Amino acid sequence: MTHSSQQGGSGGYELPVYPFVPPPELARGTQGRYSIVIVGGGLSGLTLACDLSQRGIDSVVLDEDDTIGVRGASSRGICYAQKTLEIFARLGVFERMREKGVTWSVGKTLAGHDVVYTFNLQPASASEQPPFINLQQFYVEWFLVDRIRELGRCDLRWKNKVISVAQTDDEVTATVETPAGRYRLTADWLVDATGVNSGIRQGFGLDPHTSRIADRWCITDVRFKEKFPVERWTWVEAPFNENRAVWQHPMADDVWRLDYQMPSDCDPDYVSRRDVAEDRLRAHLGDIGFELVWVGPYEYRDHLLDEFRHGRVFFIGDAAHVVSPFGARGGNSGVQDADNLGWKLAVVLLKQAPVRLLETYDAERRAAAKENLQVASRTARFLAPQSEGERTLRRAAIDLARNYPFARPLVNTGRMSVANPYPESPAVEGAGWSLPNVPLTLPDGSRSDLVTLARSTGTSFVGILYAPAREEDVSGIASLEANGVPFRFFVCGAGGLGDPSGKLAEALRVAAGGFALIRPDLYLAAVVPNANESNVRRVLSKALCLEAERDKT
Amino acid sequence: MRIDPNIPDPDGFYAALVAAHQGLTEAQSAELNAKLVLLLANQLGDQGTLLDCIEAAVVSSNGSAARSSP
Repeated sequence: MTHSSQQGGSGGYELPVYPFVPPPELARGTQGRYSIVIVGGGLSGLTLACDLSQRGIDSVVLDEDDTIGVRGASSRGICYAQKTLEIFARLGVFERMREKGVTWSVGKTLAGHDVVYTFNLQPASASEQPPFINLQQFYVEWFLVDRIRELGRCDLRWKNKVISVAQTDDEVTATVETPAGRYRLTADWLVDATGVNSGIRQGFGLDPHTSRIADRWCITDVRFKEKFPVERWTWVEAPFNENRAVWQHPMADDVWRLDYQMPSDCDPDYVSRRDVAEDRLRAHLGDIGFELVWVGPYEYRDHLLDEFRHGRVFFIGDAAHVVSPFGARGGNSGVQDADNLGWKLAVVLLKQAPVRLLETYDAERRAAAKENLQVASRTARFLAPQSEGERTLRRAAIDLARNYPFARPLVNTGRMSVANPYPESPAVEGAGWSLPNVPLTLPDGSRSDLVTLARSTGTSFVGILYAPAREEDVSGIASLEANGVPFRFFVCGAGGLGDPSGKLAEALRVAAGGFALIRPDLYLAAVVPNANESNVRRVLSKALCLEAERDKT
Repeated sequence: MRIDPNIPDPDGFYAALVAAHQGLTEAQSAELNAKLVLLLANQLGDQGTLLDCIEAAVVSSNGSAARSSP
């Protein structure tokens, strides 16, 4: 989202300030050469830095600011979806998010005074993480910075602004401006996580195909003590907002995100004026005491880069893709970009997989972004009908939804972020969906879960063979663990992993004698019925792109 | 999408449809039609058929627009 402005100082938030430390290139005149440089310390950049740190891979983060968030403003993302929470559980920041944030699973869509559509994501959830936690984005970034520092693998450089990037076949060079002067550093790989207005992207002349949508909104973050339902409420037509849409979301610190659709020809300065915002709040909340935290008018836009990799430069998060905010598919997909790229960079740097594995980042995450763009665009269209005919259709759907269940799924105020499947990926076979963090028991009988199991293996694929199986197949598959292959093998059954809830088997969709190959990002790479050493070796090679050349012939 | 006659009592159906529109303004008729489309779509419940019907209606509308122009 763009064109946000800040009011009321820091909104009562105390944010950390990270000191500028002259980098070794300037302090000691060293020649900076690194494996991975991440530009941009926002949500996706910090997630990647944390992911790499967790995997024991060194990186440098260059951020032009000296704090998290957008200078105290509380706008930006607020909803963290289950896959994101599972990633953060693996990275060691989930517990802090759970303590600080607001856990929810119920969403309601209203028209007038009627609830026309309700969803509850909890009953169908198999994960140890909840469907959603709402939390101001800067808190998440804060927790990530703390965790990155704790892991001690990443050189976080504040007040380091990248002003240009150039590359050859062998390396990427960035020129960086700091309060102590300008310097250059080189890297094997550079990740652009600088967000929607990426100068790096522009520097390479890459067109993100931006389109603007003529729909205006005004975010109003407000603090009050009254207990409202801890649910996502969306009005398609709110009587207290001239029958335009309104969003109501809880966040941490008794702050609520209220987002009001405005007339498309409104004056952004007028609608964000304090007295105008307060009038709007009184119409919505009634006669209660509240404190205005932040008001930000915005219009949204979307864009999608043609390729998420440009030579030795990767684009993640908003630098690569931007969608309308409905459904929380922005920040969550940035986190998932980082989750997808991190393990691939790790195994390539460790020479456990060829460089072409990195091409699957674009294949998988661009497809995901394309899907997110389509889904979010459909919501945007429902919320802003572009003709009288469209308005009539929408009115019909809403009217019918009041009485007939069939029409309720037509009322579209956002389809919440999911872990996009990668069915077309060259590195998956007959699978490609994300696995929920299901509970399981370890061979010693202790309780665990899939995320913890994956984390305990470092950066390895986890293979699970379902009993019963022939002893020679068990030992044959186990032999694949040797020779530096990032692969850890488990049997599910007596003496091995246990699946007391049955959720693991349900998620893997695997039968007795079958084998599931799980990637470090907890996507299912392949399911092999009647597994043996030979067919497991084949899917493992495919998942690591070891045999891409052979497959092409 | 089937294009052979399938409505058991075409005249009776059409009369009921016209009666439903009786006395409505243009906007009310449009709203009635929109609701009817959605209700009928749910009876069909087959995505391929629904998309074929939308396509057929668009083509038919383009055709009639072309015919009405001089």
